[in-house]
Amino acid sequence: MIYPQKNALINWFSHNYILRIVKGNFHAVKFNEIEVDKSKSVLLLANHFSWWDGFLMYYINQKVFKKRFHVMVIEETVKKVSFFKYVGAFSVSKNSRDMLASLNYAAELLNDPQNMVLIFPQGKLYSNFIDEVNFEKGLSRIMDKAKGKFQPILAATFIENLQHKRPTANVYLNVLNTLPGGDTAQSVYQKHYNFSKLSQVQNII
Amino acid sequence: MIPARRVKLFSNWFAIYMRYRMRKAFNRLVVTPFTPKPGHSVLLLCNHFSWWDGLWGNYLAYWHLDRHLYIMMQEDHLQKRMLLNLFGGFSINRSSREMIKSLQYAAGLLNNPENLVVVFPQGELISNHTTEIKVEKGIERLIKNIKGPCQIVYNCALIDYFESLKPSVFFHLYDCGIAGEMPFDELTNRINTFHQHALKAQIDVEH
Repeated sequence: MIYPQKNALINWFSHNYILRIVKGNFHAVKFNEIEVDKSKSVLLLANHFSWWDGFLMYYINQKVFKKRFHVMVIEETVKKVSFFKYVGAFSVSKNSRDMLASLNYAAELLNDPQNMVLIFPQGKLYSNFIDEVNFEKGLSRIMDKAKGKFQPILAATFIENLQHKRPTANVYLNVLNTLPGGDTAQSVYQKHYNFSKLSQVQNII
Repeated sequence: MIPARRVKLFSNWFAIYMRYRMRKAFNRLVVTPFTPKPGHSVLLLCNHFSWWDGLWGNYLAYWHLDRHLYIMMQEDHLQKRMLLNLFGGFSINRSSREMIKSLQYAAGLLNNPENLVVVFPQGELISNHTTEIKVEKGIERLIKNIKGPCQIVYNCALIDYFESLKPSVFFHLYDCGIAGEMPFDELTNRINTFHQHALKAQIDVEH
């Protein structure tokens, strides 16, 4: 598995590059203000529909959580896009023994209140128009291992164009006190997703 | 009401230029295979959620439906961009009595089987994620006034990103039947069914 790496110059460059392209390509990134517990790390669960998701969450982390960004990414992608590992990406390869190492590493990161870990529980890209979000296995292992150390936060993102030439990203955040593992996590997320979509649909100009 | 002053040569240039712009701005423009009925004009009803919608209507008319484009625009919007008047834009003012004139004008254009008229039945910008398409009453009047053979087509455009930083746009085209062959409620139902269908189809779209 591939671990996040540090290099002051590349870190600095990647950080600015991400913030720059998010600002340049979107008319606005809208999100709701939330309170984050400073004594706990953050486990962020988000829907996955584009290459922007990770960058948008990086931006949200800068604005809201202000923690050290980590994200679980498929191994092939980390290999292909070499700068990902300098912005906190660590790899996971599905259906291999290595997966356990990745899950354990994610749980380990959550023990430090300075960290945040972003996970896309869907495991691959789906359309932004799906109604049902299906989680892949493995999330409950992380949550069991790091129990009580982290604060679960749900994020549902929808892209909207409306009257502006550049799109607007709407990120709906929801802080939970606890999140039970397994299928319950999926249904809790689904509920948040449905609610977010409903507020999104009411956008009329 | 401002009628269209369509100049064929300029419209052709504009279509080519806009295709270039779109290919630059989008990762992919995917259109479901669709051939309009020969000898029929086309009333293209589109969902309205972005800045690009009208330009997409132009793109579809030129490169896929093979008709001359005319497009119904809000009067104040057209006045700000009178250049579009030369490419087939005509105005509608929903708050004045001239609205009926615009609808009759649109119907008149559709008597010619070489023409295509783009109308946004929602009449306002609404989220791309909406599940319901509200069809304004004016459409009923427009269709009633069409005398020649005219095919009604619903175009559901959806934006998705997938493995790219550039958006891709997916056009789902559906045949709603021939104008005058069905009551207005039936048309509204069909459009909504097709919209639901497009949202479902979008989930399994290739990427």
